[in-house]
This record gives sequence, C-alpha cells and structure tokens, in this order.
Amino acid sequence: MKLASTLALSVVVVGVLATVPWWGSAVLVQFGINALILATLAQSWNIIGGYTGYPSFGNSVFYGLGGYGVAVGMVQFQLPFAAGLALGVFLAVLFAFLLGLPVLRLRGHYFAIATLGLAEVMTAIVSNLEIAGRNIGLILPLLKGDTLFFELSLALLVITTMTVAWISRSRFGFGLIAIRENEEAAAVMGVNTTLYKILGFALCSIFAAIAGGIHAYWITYLDPTSAFDITLNVKMIIMAVFGGPGTIFGPVLGAFVLSAISEVLATKVTSLAGIFFGLVIVAAIVFMPRGLADLVRRFRQQGWRYFQANIQAHRV
Amino acid sequence: MDAILEVCQVTKRFHGLVAIDKVTFTLERNKILGLIGPNGAGKTTLVSLISGTLEPTDGSILFEGAPIHQLPAYRRGLLGIARTFQVMRPFPGLTVLDNVAVGALFGTANNSHGLSEAQEEAHRWLKFVGLDHRAAQRADALGGPDRKRLELAKALAMRPKLLLLDEVMAGLNHVEIEEVISVIKKVRDQGISILVIEHVMKAIQSLSDRLVVLHHGEKIAEGEPEDVLSNDQVITAYLGRKRL
Repeated sequence: MKLASTLALSVVVVGVLATVPWWGSAVLVQFGINALILATLAQSWNIIGGYTGYPSFGNSVFYGLGGYGVAVGMVQFQLPFAAGLALGVFLAVLFAFLLGLPVLRLRGHYFAIATLGLAEVMTAIVSNLEIAGRNIGLILPLLKGDTLFFELSLALLVITTMTVAWISRSRFGFGLIAIRENEEAAAVMGVNTTLYKILGFALCSIFAAIAGGIHAYWITYLDPTSAFDITLNVKMIIMAVFGGPGTIFGPVLGAFVLSAISEVLATKVTSLAGIFFGLVIVAAIVFMPRGLADLVRRFRQQGWRYFQANIQAHRV
Repeated sequence: MDAILEVCQVTKRFHGLVAIDKVTFTLERNKILGLIGPNGAGKTTLVSLISGTLEPTDGSILFEGAPIHQLPAYRRGLLGIARTFQVMRPFPGLTVLDNVAVGALFGTANNSHGLSEAQEEAHRWLKFVGLDHRAAQRADALGGPDRKRLELAKALAMRPKLLLLDEVMAGLNHVEIEEVISVIKKVRDQGISILVIEHVMKAIQSLSDRLVVLHHGEKIAEGEPEDVLSNDQVITAYLGRKRL
C-alpha cells in the first residue's frame, strides 16, 4: 500500500513537472533545467557516495567528459546529438573503470582527496588537446527550444531515480550497502567488493555524463574550466547530503530545495547570497544531519524533539 | 578420514613479529575442532588466514582438497567458508533482518534468489539463534550478547560448509553460553564442520571433538580434549610454571 501511494505520488509530480514548459515563464523553465540537471548529478553521486559510502569528488569529471563527448562529436565529426552523448558516456565509463581500479582501493578521506585531483588533471589535459579546442573551448550548433532540454533533463532524472530505487531493493544494491557499512565483513560474506565498487562507480558515471552532454548542448558552449568545475562536484555532494544520502528521493528533494533557496537569495540579497547559503547549510547540519528524507520520516513520530535530539547528539 | 580443512606449515609474519609459526592441523568433515591458547597466541590471526582477510607468508591451506590461501576473501565465502568476528562487525545502519539477508543473498548455495526470499530465509536463521523478535531494529541498537547472536546468524545464512567461530561466547552469562552451545551442536548436526575459538574451558570441552593449542604462534599440543587439557605444556602456557 505504501509502495503504491509513493508510486502514484511520483507519477503525479512528474506529470505536473512535465507540463511546466507550456505554462511557466522562460526564467522558470531555465531554472527548472538547471535544477533537474543538478538533481540528476546529486542522484548519481548518491550511488557511489550515498549507497557505497565512497565520497567521490571525481563525478564532475564524468560530467565534463559527457559534455566534451557531445561537443567534440557534434563540432569535429558532425555527428548527431545522440551519437555525441554515446561518445561522452563511453569516455566516462572508460574513465570510471580505468581510474576506479586504483582509486577505489583508498577509503574515506584518502579516496576523497585522490578523486579531488582528477578534475584538475582533466582540465590540464583537455586544455592541451587540439580536438577539444584547447583552453578556448568549443562552440556547439545552436538549438533553440528550452522545452526539449527541460523534458530531456526530466526524463534523465526519472531514469536515474528509478535506477536508484532498483538499487535499494536488489542484490547488487545490498552488496553496495554492505560495502558502505563494513567493507571487510562484506568481503567475508561473499561480496566481490572490488567489482561492486567499480560497477557502482561506472553506473553513476553514465548518468553524470548524460547530464553533462545535455547541459553542453543547451548552453552551446564548453571550455575546460567550466566543464570540469570542482565546485559543481561540491554542489552535488551538498545537495545529496542535505536531502539524505542513501535514500531514493532525498538527493532529488535536496537539489530542488537548495536550488530554490540559492535562486531566491541570489535575486533578493544578491551580494550576500553566499553568506546566507552557508548559514542554511550550517543550520541543516546542526538540525538534520541525516538529511531531509530522515526529517520527513522521523518528524511525524518525534515532532520538535527530533531537532533537540540532533543538537544533543552533536553536543553543540 | 575425510578432511574439509587442512592447514599445512602455515606461517604469518608481521614484519619482525612471527604471529603464526609453521602451524599444521586438519579438521575432519562434520567435526568440531577447538582452538585454544592464551591471549596473543595467534588464534584470531589463524582464523583471518583461513577466511582470507589476511594472507599467509608461507605454507598452504587446503579446503576440500584444493588450495585456497591465495584466493580473495569473497571467493572463499562463495566456496563455503563463513566466519564470525571476535570484535563484532554488524552492518550498523541496516536492520537486523537485512544484516542476515546479506548473508543469504551472497552466501554459498543459492545466491541468485531475490530480496524477499533472502529476507524470509534470514527470518528463519534469526529464529534459529533466538533473535527474531529484534528483526526490525537497527543492528547498532543491539547489546553485546545479541550482537554475538547476530554474527552467528549472518554466518549461518551463508549456508557454509565450514564455520569459523571466533569467541562467540565471550561476555555471555552461563544461561546464554548453554544456549549458544546447543545452537552450535544443532549446526554441527546439519553437517557443517566447525572451528571454534573459545576461552570458556567448560564450553570448549563439551563441544570439541579435538583440540589444538597455540602458544606464541606455535602449536604446542593437539588431541582429545581430556588429554590436551592435562598436558603439562598446556597447563604451563595457561597458568605459568609450577613452583617446586
């Protein structure tokens, strides 16, 4: 029954969102595309960071490779958009396998630091590639029509979320969760930890790369520093953690709420927006460290005591 | 004589320290072998060498006649070796039921079945160890004795052929120890061979078909429990030298 009502609610929400381009203003639609792409990135980070417990800072590399797949494919080889996307996904998955093998041997902070370097390395490499337009970048063919990009982003987010929903109920997902909870115990219980981690990394690279490809075609311009932007990776982590890592809807919720807050702050208080955004994050960590998803679940049972318990647990 | 586990001349060195020194013993199918020794004798290291969390420096380990000492830990799990950890390692954020379901999903026999089937099987094993009333709770909400039971249920859900029990009775009271002993005997009666490490002498005496005694990484005695426990060398290792 609970599953059925969740499913029904999801269908309604997606249905309403799909109509936005027909009645929303141009500003709202553009905000929507950005929010949907960020939600997809937060959701794909959720697979490796939330479910497997590996806080990756390398997901912006997947995003950038997806963008460059589309840009190089369309500009240099005159391929259609879909073929460019396929090229981007191929590059990202290849990267996930090749770098996952050494990097996923590290755990916790060491893994985070190692992946942090990947984006910088990619910026340097791509800046020197003739085919990728060096550090000047590439200009993609113009396609007017925010509606198409909105619907594409929405479809991608739905597919990513359905994949995460499958993960949370499957043998594969239980393997990932077991790795997050205790990797050594997982191995002894028969989980092929190396294989599972790399598959998880590769799976999240697919969605991040498609998101990057859609964004590049929409913006029609791509250069190394914006493609491999590390602050984008920080954003997806904040959104996923704000919403609730390791849950199905948390990262999506977190991305929508934080996108809205930062949009409102940017228009209302402009120069001080960054400070207010920081305050929101600090408050979230103090009052709801396990994210929005946990807040929604527990607040009904515990009421205001929920916040009190979290503050005490933090000894603030 | 049908050996399920053969440990041959196994040595484990941690840099300068020799934790296990040329240890050899055999565990026969459907038997319980007790492994005892003072603190620091190398008992847990030996279990880790067999289960694959550590690799031996030298020597070989055979499981059902085939060498396994170079296989990764998960492959040994799939072959049918399960262990419990002395320092309990539940999956803290998962429910007690899902902890055991991981074993059912990834263990030896039928690892292709779906989640709901695995959870059903997990329920059966929780009942077996007397923990089914706490199935819905998070594993980190359990106290010490219940965590020991959970470790046992997780290992059993893998349907192993060989079960390595690392001090599952430490910290339990007399009643709880009796319960665990009867559970272990039930497990043995299902045809599972067991290697049990224990400090509780009464328990190990009533359980074991044979005993191996380790001291400073070396095997100092092996045989029937009564003979081994009256062995002078063993008494010296445990209690110190008799003063004349």
